[in-house]
Amino acid sequence: MIFREVEDRDLIAKARRGDVDAYSILVSRWEKRIFNYLLRLVGNREEAMDLSQDVFLKAWQNLKKLEDAGRFSSWLFRIAHNEAFSLLRKNRPEVELSGDPTVADRSVRLFPVELSLAVERALNRLSDDQREAVLLKVYQGFKFEEMAEILGCPVSTIKSRVYAALDLLKDALAPVGARGVQ
Amino acid sequence: MICSNVDLKAYVLGEVPESERGAVAAHVHECANCGEELERLNLTHLALVSLRDEEVPRRIAFVSDKVFEPRWWQRIWQSGPVMGFASAAVLACAILAHGVLAQGTGRAAPPQPTSVDTAAVERRVSAEVNERLNAAVSRAVARAVSDSEARQQQQTLALLAAAERKYDFQRKADLAAVASNLDIIRKEQTRMFMASNGLEMRP
Repeated sequence: MIFREVEDRDLIAKARRGDVDAYSILVSRWEKRIFNYLLRLVGNREEAMDLSQDVFLKAWQNLKKLEDAGRFSSWLFRIAHNEAFSLLRKNRPEVELSGDPTVADRSVRLFPVELSLAVERALNRLSDDQREAVLLKVYQGFKFEEMAEILGCPVSTIKSRVYAALDLLKDALAPVGARGVQ
Repeated sequence: MICSNVDLKAYVLGEVPESERGAVAAHVHECANCGEELERLNLTHLALVSLRDEEVPRRIAFVSDKVFEPRWWQRIWQSGPVMGFASAAVLACAILAHGVLAQGTGRAAPPQPTSVDTAAVERRVSAEVNERLNAAVSRAVARAVSDSEARQQQQTLALLAAAERKYDFQRKADLAAVASNLDIIRKEQTRMFMASNGLEMRP
């Protein structure tokens, strides 16, 4: 992880000087994480792919504004968060994005496995904010402080979202997990 | 009812510092309610992380877009020889200008600021620098274009060679298959001929 960060710093420094090849390597290192984060957030492959392209394009255009190369991951996910929520707001303007627990089922099913489907269904029952908090914490491994930076919220808000989501997921998944994971 | 003095969710999510994890583990060992809650949380966490990441369906495909191409000033800035040449040109012009100024005023005499048209000198210097810089940039651009064309030609040739190898291999494989099929048919015909004439085939 440390080596990866050091290599990222090197690539970022080169990309800031206009080195497209360095940026291309940087994209290949991060595209899977960004794509999966966006996919689970918006629930549609094509939209997630388009958003990923936009994220990396914006990152390239604004790379000079990144003050600390060590914070590249938070900064990149911040861009991804903004892009995803612009789309979610556009697609569902009537939905109040903070705290609505009833989100319509996503049309695209991701994995034809019972446990995966159960997880996906449970994630889709969360509000967008709660789901995003779980994605960043559980799947991307960010600390609460880093999440606060990405989402522009206090740490207390982040904790509250993650904990509330975990309670809902626990009710939905603990029985499935007992059957499927052990 | 779980105890309020332990944060089991933070514990499961890896947010409890290493120095405090032992205390939480010890408490869970003692308290049955907290132990059950921790088990439920662990199962939930395991179920969540069982969801695998998907591969990106296609490569992020904008690397060749115009927006990623360096601008003209970036190309110049990144070109070491051109920048070196430009710096040398500026330095040479500055020395030249200094020489003209010194000649106009005389070394022994004190400086006479009114005797030299500095604006004209600056214009000359500027024109000279621009001219040399433009020439250097044109050469660099021409070289870059020819390099790029050469690379593309090489790539095309490599692709053609690869395609030719592939088709050649396929043709040979097809011929081998045809030969094999003919051999089978021949053997079958022989077998049928022998059988119809009441003859036995040698093994």
